[in-house]
Amino acid sequence: MIEANDTGSRAREDEWLVVRCQLGERPAFEELIQRWYGPLWTYVRRLTGEDEAAKDITQDVWLRVLRGIGRLREGSKLRPWLFGIARRTSMDWLRARYAAAVLSDVDVTGIAAEDAPLDLEEELRAMQGELARLPVTEREVLTLFYLQELSLDEVADLLGIPAGTVKSRLFRARQLLRRELESKGRQV
Amino acid sequence: MSKKDFSTALSSGPTPSAVLLHLADAQLSLRGRLGYVALLLVALMMTGVIGSLWLTEPALPMRTQVGFAVMIAIGLSWVTFALWVLTHRQVLLAPHRIVAGRMAVTFTALFLMGALAVGYQTGGAAAYAAAAVGVVMLVGAVVILMGAHRRFARLMQRRETLERELGRTGK
Repeated sequence: MIEANDTGSRAREDEWLVVRCQLGERPAFEELIQRWYGPLWTYVRRLTGEDEAAKDITQDVWLRVLRGIGRLREGSKLRPWLFGIARRTSMDWLRARYAAAVLSDVDVTGIAAEDAPLDLEEELRAMQGELARLPVTEREVLTLFYLQELSLDEVADLLGIPAGTVKSRLFRARQLLRRELESKGRQV
Repeated sequence: MSKKDFSTALSSGPTPSAVLLHLADAQLSLRGRLGYVALLLVALMMTGVIGSLWLTEPALPMRTQVGFAVMIAIGLSWVTFALWVLTHRQVLLAPHRIVAGRMAVTFTALFLMGALAVGYQTGGAAAYAAAAVGVVMLVGAVVILMGAHRRFARLMQRRETLERELGRTGK
């Protein structure tokens, strides 16, 4: 119940920001940029794996955001809208760069189907590198969800997949991370 | 570990650059947008006048008709370009739309009065045809202005409701 209230309040905060932007208020635009520049950059960085590309793509994302926010109908869906733009822009860049699938060399076959809790606290630093080695689909869903900016439903909405698929990708991503960390001799 | 702790540890992105904040300023600039609104209106009126002449002047030589067609094509190209900029590049926010609507009403009203004055003095059919075009454009401009005011009022109302719900009424 508390989570539902938080989500409702968060959605209203987002809509309030969008409405102020649509009314042309300069401080609202600054607030929007200050609040979301970091999370969007991080998301793009994790999709592309390159600092310089992330910087350029994020700039492009913001151009699209600033040009499009006046037409955003549902301000409460600001988060999926922002990350949707970042996702499309990043995918365009990845397509242009690789012109094919960009999955990493992590083998995703043979992973156990049962869920298992994973204590990640001690492994965060190590995970920075491992996260970049995940396949794009798993890396993306893990980043979106654990950035705390999007709920399961919002991630599902953004990616155009059912919430159950998001859950299974999250599960698979955690499994992959664990396997990678274990293979490097870290206890998880 | 909580989702928030995980997020904090993983999301140490950079802060926005001055370039980006400058971009935001440029996107909020009213002057650039109104230039395109003026271009749109002038191109529309020019096209309206030439179209009226073409339709009402009897027995125009072929080369004049070709000239009119080219000029109308040029006018429509400018209209299309200005519309594209205003819907894709320098999108009009709610207050901008009101200013643009007022400009449209003023320009089209002046156009209509000018066409009527010329028609009254010369009795030319082209002037009255242009006046008819002016009436259509004026009605369109008034509708656009009313829509802009409605949208602005709707946004203000929504903003007040949200501020009340969020307890930000003192801001």
